[in-house]
Amino acid sequence: MYPILFLSFSGLITLFLGFFQEGKWVKPATILFLAIASISAFIDWNKPGAYFFNMLQVNNFNLLLSLVILITAILIVAISDNFKEIEYAHSAEYYAIMQFSLVGAIMMTNFQSLIMLFLGVEILSVSMYVLTGTDKRNLRGNEAAIKYFLLGAFATGILLFGIAMIYGGVGAFEIDAISGTLASNQAQSLFLYIGLVMLLIGLLFKLAAAPFHFWTPDVYEGAPTIFTLFMATIVKTAVVFALYRILHQSFQNMHLSWSYILAGCIALSLIIGNLSAVKQISFKRMLAFSSISHAGFLLLGLLHVSKTADKSLLFYSVSYLLASTSAFGVLLALKNERTENGRSNENISVFKGLATRSPFLSAVLIISMLSLAGIPLTGGFWSKFYVLTDAANDQFFYLIVLALLLTAVGVYYYFKPIITVFEKSDIQEAITINPIFKIIFVLTTLGTLVLGLFPDLLYGMI
Amino acid sequence: MTDYIPQDYQPLLFQLVLALGFIIFTILITHVLGPRLKNAAKDAPFECGIESVGDARAPLAVRYFLIAILFVLFDVEIIFMYPWAVNFLKLGWFGFVEMLFFVTFLMAGFYYIIRKGVLNWEND
Repeated sequence: MYPILFLSFSGLITLFLGFFQEGKWVKPATILFLAIASISAFIDWNKPGAYFFNMLQVNNFNLLLSLVILITAILIVAISDNFKEIEYAHSAEYYAIMQFSLVGAIMMTNFQSLIMLFLGVEILSVSMYVLTGTDKRNLRGNEAAIKYFLLGAFATGILLFGIAMIYGGVGAFEIDAISGTLASNQAQSLFLYIGLVMLLIGLLFKLAAAPFHFWTPDVYEGAPTIFTLFMATIVKTAVVFALYRILHQSFQNMHLSWSYILAGCIALSLIIGNLSAVKQISFKRMLAFSSISHAGFLLLGLLHVSKTADKSLLFYSVSYLLASTSAFGVLLALKNERTENGRSNENISVFKGLATRSPFLSAVLIISMLSLAGIPLTGGFWSKFYVLTDAANDQFFYLIVLALLLTAVGVYYYFKPIITVFEKSDIQEAITINPIFKIIFVLTTLGTLVLGLFPDLLYGMI
Repeated sequence: MTDYIPQDYQPLLFQLVLALGFIIFTILITHVLGPRLKNAAKDAPFECGIESVGDARAPLAVRYFLIAILFVLFDVEIIFMYPWAVNFLKLGWFGFVEMLFFVTFLMAGFYYIIRKGVLNWEND
């Protein structure tokens, strides 16, 4: 609860810091604010309770989620480079909007009332629409922002309609009240089913799960890389835990109804994500399709109402966050490599000869790709293992088989950048890396390896 | 209460087919029978009888949008202030402090706009 209040104010302060000494304090101040917000989360530690007329619920697991989101945000802000790439950049505004969007993300993980969920989704999405279109001179960025805004607004509308339908069926917005009504064995109102489906459509859109994924490749490619990273990590984590709270803590008694919808979405996400990623040339587009397939895996962890679902999902999210941060970070570190038209080269071919030019960056990239593919000794392996163990059940056995088959397809396209790293390139000059980048890369790569070698450090702790 | 069997709905099905058939028939037949005229006056976009001039995608000054957003800033303020003013006595000090917070946030935005130089009409 306290991070929400703190970030609302610190965002405003960040805006005005932009006027002070040409905004050179904005980035360090943002990191400081995020650190204070993370610490302020501990005020509520071991003191579960409800806030704001029972609209927000605080317990240790929810606080842990807030912490994961905030720490990821610190990593992302640390590798952002004051947006020198963007013409007419207003960097103070971008950092402020990032902080406001985190308010939405935390609300989405801590909500108790569906109204709060809607507010959180809106705060997060509206911020993301703006951040997607920050590179005003980039046509691709404009296209991405308009597409994301129009489709996203539509999805939010469906979400809100779903909440209204659920209210019509139950007469309450609180997820406890909904699960209470469902627990009493009466025949349920039809509106409840309609509402749940609409709510799922809205949230699955934000998660970029097929068949609501059509915006993902264009938006991921068009947005500035740093915000693509923000979208791929923070938005995904927030949405998946919002879904967890709705499906596992509120609608668990309607499991028979929603598990089939989820199973269909998982199958489509895995097939479309993995098969479309195979022939991508752009690295960001490839990661966009890979994020669709990861959305499928995250949903796989939601498929069964089990006691370990929250653990598996958190483990999956953390290992995905670490690997994505490394992968997008390497692309950011190479942003001075240009194509003919003067823009940063974002194709997989940018990694050509990286092994000789910067062994450190190539190691970071290779480990992150291995983790995303789910190769043992990285966090990605255990995250897939836990999620598949949770989903293993007679009813959806074919889904497990499909997931395993498509993981094999995944290995093929995740190895394409790795092979490119070892190809010979004409350019031989060594790449200099910012020391902050180095620290972040060491953290994320070590994190991925530690999760791969000692998964119980995180899995056993939760 | 009378029970209905599927056969009772046969007239409905019949009517549905007839209605659909009529629509498809008319759409098709107009394509065949209709005369094809093509001239400049017919191809021109209809603009309430006024001759159309220029491109529909006329560029607008960014200032126009800024004014619109500024208007919304104050418009929303009034929307929130009005119900508060009506219930002023009932809400008491709690309402007053909440309103102070709201206005402070809003004024912070307004001050930001001034510092950014949005209200400098002469520049650019």
